[in-house]
Formats: sequence, C-alpha cells, structure tokens
Amino acid sequence: MKVRTEKLIFDESIKLESGSTLSSFELMIETYGELNQSKDNAVLVCHAFSGNHHAAGIKTEEGKPGWWDQIIGDGETIDTSKYFVVSVNNLGGCDGSSGPISISPETDQVYGASFPEVSVKDWVNAQKALLEYLEIPAWEMVAGGSLGGMQALQWSISYPNLIKKAAIIAASSKISSQNIALNEVAREIIRKDENFAGGDYHLQNIKPKKGLKAARMLGHITYLSEANMRKRFGRKLQSPETKIDDEVSYEVENYLQYKGEQFAETFDANSYILMTKAMDSFDPAKDFEQDLVKCFKQIKAKLFIASFNSDWLFPKEYGKDIQLSAIKAGVRSSYVELEGDYGHDSFLFHSDEYAVGLKNFLESNE
Amino acid sequence: MNKSLETIVTDWVADNSKVIDFGCGDGSLLKSLADSKSIIGYGVENDPNEIHGCIKNGISVVQQDIDQGLSEYKNMDFDMAIMASSIQCLRKPKEALQNILEVANQCVITLPNFGNWELRTGLLKGKMPSSTKLPAKWYETKNVHMCTIADFEELCATENFNILKKVYLNRRGNTSWLTDYLPNLFAAEAVYLLGK
Repeated sequence: MKVRTEKLIFDESIKLESGSTLSSFELMIETYGELNQSKDNAVLVCHAFSGNHHAAGIKTEEGKPGWWDQIIGDGETIDTSKYFVVSVNNLGGCDGSSGPISISPETDQVYGASFPEVSVKDWVNAQKALLEYLEIPAWEMVAGGSLGGMQALQWSISYPNLIKKAAIIAASSKISSQNIALNEVAREIIRKDENFAGGDYHLQNIKPKKGLKAARMLGHITYLSEANMRKRFGRKLQSPETKIDDEVSYEVENYLQYKGEQFAETFDANSYILMTKAMDSFDPAKDFEQDLVKCFKQIKAKLFIASFNSDWLFPKEYGKDIQLSAIKAGVRSSYVELEGDYGHDSFLFHSDEYAVGLKNFLESNE
Repeated sequence: MNKSLETIVTDWVADNSKVIDFGCGDGSLLKSLADSKSIIGYGVENDPNEIHGCIKNGISVVQQDIDQGLSEYKNMDFDMAIMASSIQCLRKPKEALQNILEVANQCVITLPNFGNWELRTGLLKGKMPSSTKLPAKWYETKNVHMCTIADFEELCATENFNILKKVYLNRRGNTSWLTDYLPNLFAAEAVYLLGK
C-alpha cells in the first residue's frame, strides 16, 4: 500500500458557518493507494472527534496503527489496491491542520482560544477545497463513523454532484440532549482545570492535562458497551506491580487512567471543546425549516447507513431515522443493524457482517 | 425467484413507480423492475445474507423484521407494495394486510395455496402436507398461518380488501385452464393485486 502524508497550504480564505473567516488554512492529509487514470476511485474517509489524518497503516515514528487500519488496506474492506483513499485532519484539530495550536497567519501568534468555532459543514467545505486541489472530479464514496458519518451525510447534502456514495456509520442526523449533556460535562471538566487559563494556556506554557484526562475517561466509557467492559475487565483487580496509581483498585480503573493520560499527552484541550461543539451543533435540517425529508431531497448519492446494537451513545434508532427520512425523500439508501461487540466504538473494528456490507456497498454498481 | 411472478408484477407496475418489497430476498424482483420500469425500489429484509445480496446488486434495503414495522412505511408515497410468499409467515397476517394497504394503494400479495391437490393428498395419507414448492417439515417450516385460495379470498371479502387483479399458477409457475377452472384445487400459487 502506497502511503503519502502531506501538509497542504490553501492560500484561499474559507468562510465558516459561525461567520468568522480564516484568511488561509492548512490541511494535514494522508493518502493510501493511487488515483486511477479515470479518477473515479477516490474515497474520502472522515475521522470521528478525536481522530486525525492517520487512518491506516502503521506510522513508523510512533508505531501507531491508523484509526481505521482494520478497514483500509490492500485486499481489505476499503481495498487500497483498487481505491485511492484520502484522509484529512479536520479544521480545529491538533494534528497538523489549522487549529488552536497552529499559528494564525494574521497575528503570527498561536491561535489558542481565539480559533473560531467550526462545524461539520465547515469541514466538508474544507474537504471540498481538498477535492479540487487533488483534481478529483467526484468522490466515489465518503465514509466515516460517528462524527465522521455526519460528515459523509453532510457531503451528500452540500455537494450532491461531487459524491456518488456515502457510508454513514454509527452516526446521527443530529445528536440528542443526552449526547450534548455528556459533551458539556467533558467540556466543563476541562474548563475547570486550573491550567486551562480561559483556553490560552499556551501563553503560560502549561496544559490542562488533568481536565483533559478526566474528560477522556468519561468519554471512553460512553464509547464502550456495558457487555464489552464486563467481558474485558469484569471486577478483576489490578495487580500491584502494574498499577498506574496507588488510588487504583480495579483493572477498569487502571485502563481508563492509562488511556486518559495517554490522550491528555497528545490531544489539545481547545480542540476537544471545538470538536464536541461541532458535534452538538450538527443539524443539517436546520437549513430546511427543520424538515429532514426536504433536506434529503438534495441528495443524489446512494447511502449506506449502519448502526450497532451495542451502541448506546448513538443508538440504532438514530440510523433508522436517517433511513426512513431518506426513503421518504426517495433517496437510494440501505440500512443495516450490526451486532458490534464494542459499543459505539464498533465502527472502528473489523467484523464480518460490517466488512461485507461496506465492501459490497462500495463495490456495487451505480 | 419465480420468473412468472416477475412477469406478472412487471405488467402491473407503472413506469417510475416507488415500490417497496417486504421480504425482498436478494432484491432480484426490485432489480428487474428497476431495469424494465425504472422504478425506485426499496426492499425490507431481515436475513443478513439476503441483505448482502441486495447491497451487492445495488438495491436499497432496510434490515427489519416485517412483523415489527410495516406501519413505519405509511405516508411515504409508495405506489406499490409487494409481499411475495411471506404473508403466511407473519404472526398477524390480517393486520399486516391492513397495514400494507396503508403503505401503498396497490399491493401485490402472493400466496402458496394450501388447498392444492398435492398437499391435500399428503393430508389424506395422515401426514402434514409437503410439496415441491413447500418442502419444509412441520417442525421447521416458517409458515405459521397457512391458508387456501378460498380462505384468502373469503378474508378479502369480509375485510373489504379489493381484489383488483389475480393470477393462478400451477406448480411450474404457469397459468392453465385447470388452474383457472378449479384454482383452489389445482393452483400451487396465487398472485393478487389488492387495493382499498
């Protein structure tokens, strides 16, 4: 599999949904496989809230597999020997694309808290600029799970002629007040860290790691299913030699502590806030008098909607609702309910039914 | 899928119709209607292997147990609803028929005729009937509400389900003077176009 990682500079302004404008912007991208001569084999994969451009393969410097490594690769579900896969770190992220930790071209200072609010629509608009830069006439498919699935759905609404298929996995056409509530608790934990400094912690060379860690620990629980946690950890006690902290008793505590700490080392607190806010505000029907069917009448792409039975964060009703509105609007669309062992995170992992469904969809004729 | 069912439905469906097929299998009927009549079709199916077949064929499909959600598809502007060889598998076939007639104004229902002579002979021998078209043993059959052509048409009359068209087929899937003369005895299958 041919892998290319690149930072692209877009010397053009982008107007954001919030009303702010970025006079220029950068996108960190990674691509897998090669664009064919007829340029009709390009697939865009969109990351969920804490993901980045590194979707597949092993990054040599960190030895870290990409977030969709089980799905993307030669001979895999999204077969890179046939398809040219493009993955991009979204605006507001913290892995190379313009975001709170990058330097503002206007002030020559780190953005920090001043980086404007971003939305799913803004990301799709930036990805459209990327499509043009790559000189690809249209995406054969845009795919993603969770917040990534929302981008795939937004693509089909915003640019109906530039996308042939959208795979919307473990996603929603808008999240519930319970989802928003969980996001707000996480944000509050971060904001109340004494090192947060109103979001301008970079000025003092400090980081709100404690808050970020606790927020991630909470988030992590919501990504897993109860059954999965029971199977994986049960009530097993952590052995004293491997305890991350003296406070820890159970394996599940140790696991969350470890994952939270790891996350707080690499992720940016302002990005966390921006990404969760983008998730909260996603609601494509708002441009169509809150009528999702009217909104979906824009769509020309074929949709593949998948939900997981074990996902309690984005329960399967979310996917079914998208499907029913799509049918009402006359959009060609399929909906499958998958078992999934991992709760909301199931979209990240290869399972047979899931892989066959997605592969059949991608490789089916128009 | 039965070739003649395909021919019959192709005759009955108007060009560019919006069609839903409950128990669509691998979607081959919808595919054929899309090719010949440019319909926009949706299948409803609960068997993962059949669903994979639909998606591979480029047919829109919803994973769902038909027993549970016919009524979700009301008010979706369907011109035709199809339920081929599934009505006898449902827990509440009468309610299902009422619901499907609210999904679309025209509904195609196919029915395996348990009054067919081959099945009657089986019962005469003192065994639960089986035939080439209905080979399953009593303990493994999915059919929980078996009926004859006479039973079904009686239900339609009492419930005011309007039979707009009907075709009786023998076990080879053909019409014949015998099936038309004594359908309840000679037809293996009946295909109806119902309306309200």
